[in-house]
Amino acid sequence: MRKAIVVLALVGIGVMLIYAVGEMPPMGDSGNPDKVHIAPRYLEHGEEEAGASNVITAVILNYRGYDTMGEVAVIFCALCAVVAILNREKTGLSRTSMDVSGVKASVVVRTTIRFLVPVIIFFAVYIILHGESTPGGGFQGGAIIGASIILFTLAFGLPESTRKLPLRFRIPLESFAVIAFLAAGFTGIVFGVHFLTYLMPGLSEYAAETIRHIMMMVIEIGIGFAGGIIFTSIMFAMIREDQCELQPDSP
Amino acid sequence: MNFNRIAHNLNYVSSVVLFLLGLYTVAIKPNLVKKIMGLNIMETSVFLFMVSIGMVGSGNAPVVTEGVKPATMVNPIPQALILTGIVVAVSTTAVALSLCIKIHEHYGTLNASEILGTGGPF
Amino acid sequence: MDWTLNLLLLMLLLATAISVIRIKDLLAAAVVFSAYSLVMAILWTQLRAPDLALTEAAVGAGVTTVLFIITIYRTVRKED
Repeated sequence: MRKAIVVLALVGIGVMLIYAVGEMPPMGDSGNPDKVHIAPRYLEHGEEEAGASNVITAVILNYRGYDTMGEVAVIFCALCAVVAILNREKTGLSRTSMDVSGVKASVVVRTTIRFLVPVIIFFAVYIILHGESTPGGGFQGGAIIGASIILFTLAFGLPESTRKLPLRFRIPLESFAVIAFLAAGFTGIVFGVHFLTYLMPGLSEYAAETIRHIMMMVIEIGIGFAGGIIFTSIMFAMIREDQCELQPDSP
Repeated sequence: MNFNRIAHNLNYVSSVVLFLLGLYTVAIKPNLVKKIMGLNIMETSVFLFMVSIGMVGSGNAPVVTEGVKPATMVNPIPQALILTGIVVAVSTTAVALSLCIKIHEHYGTLNASEILGTGGPF
Repeated sequence: MDWTLNLLLLMLLLATAISVIRIKDLLAAAVVFSAYSLVMAILWTQLRAPDLALTEAAVGAGVTTVLFIITIYRTVRKED
């Protein structure tokens, strides 16, 4: 009965939405309403106005910088929520029931991952640093770093990877994205212009562009490393199990 | 209905269908993890819809390179918004899944009807 | 943009989404969901969005799937 009502409502919504699709402009036409307002300006002047030949990076860091700052705060809040619900792991003491069972990943898997993880992190750093000129940037590189550390944890177990990435190393890095954004934003206020302005007034063209380049680099590196570490911390908090935890050795 | 236009806008149609499939999962399936999967399908359908709006047929990626005119590039604004959207989607999924783990510790089940004690299909 | 490949990818997307909803084994559903994200990543390259393809392949097919599998491992594997 309930299922029939839900399906009926969904069919009603679907017919209305498909009817609306029939009234929309044809997909892929270069004269559509979304392409006549601000997109041409971003595409034509993005390189000299924002200093990035990848227009997506220009939009993310420069034109819609406030959006991105809020979004970085959102992923930091998500980490805070997960840690509040499930608690942090203890370095070297937290285990999963897979670690307790004593079944290890095979030698082939562990050797492959030991050689593969540095290469993946190298690729991620390349993507973060070249986000201004090629496809890529902070979020993409951060996701790849997080995925590589997750791969390492699945092969070597939780105690090994928490020893490699201890809490005292991760906690400062987790908030690095928000701090980098705020630092770059307040640089503009120091120079007497608006928050999150990239081109400082009263400087020579070369100096202004150098400062803009450094600011974008700092924000990209901040988003990249903080994003990767936040994904890692979320995964560590979710994978640890209370009943498997070791007690610290009494001295 | 304008059937020619609907047949041309196939990306929009499939994003509508994916949205309805996700909504059906969220409304009907009792399992909480399955509901979160449905929520993820709904999110990706909206992403597909927005990026398809910005498409240009035979266009180029929005990266300024030699010999590519800006007029032939796709719209960069939906792509930039969706890029942040994907990362927010995975953050919300992580929070929801950790709540699922806590719920299972407390109630011993992930079935929404059993947790509510109704027994109905919820 | 190749319309035939686009149509094929959209059909794969719908097929994987329906499989995710119909499969009763949650672990299998999580793996099919990873395939869904991968098809989505290929579709992003067809829509001229290389940044989105990179992110979706790392986040959707990697991180999200691992989070689902961890949750299923710590809770129940069978639906209802």
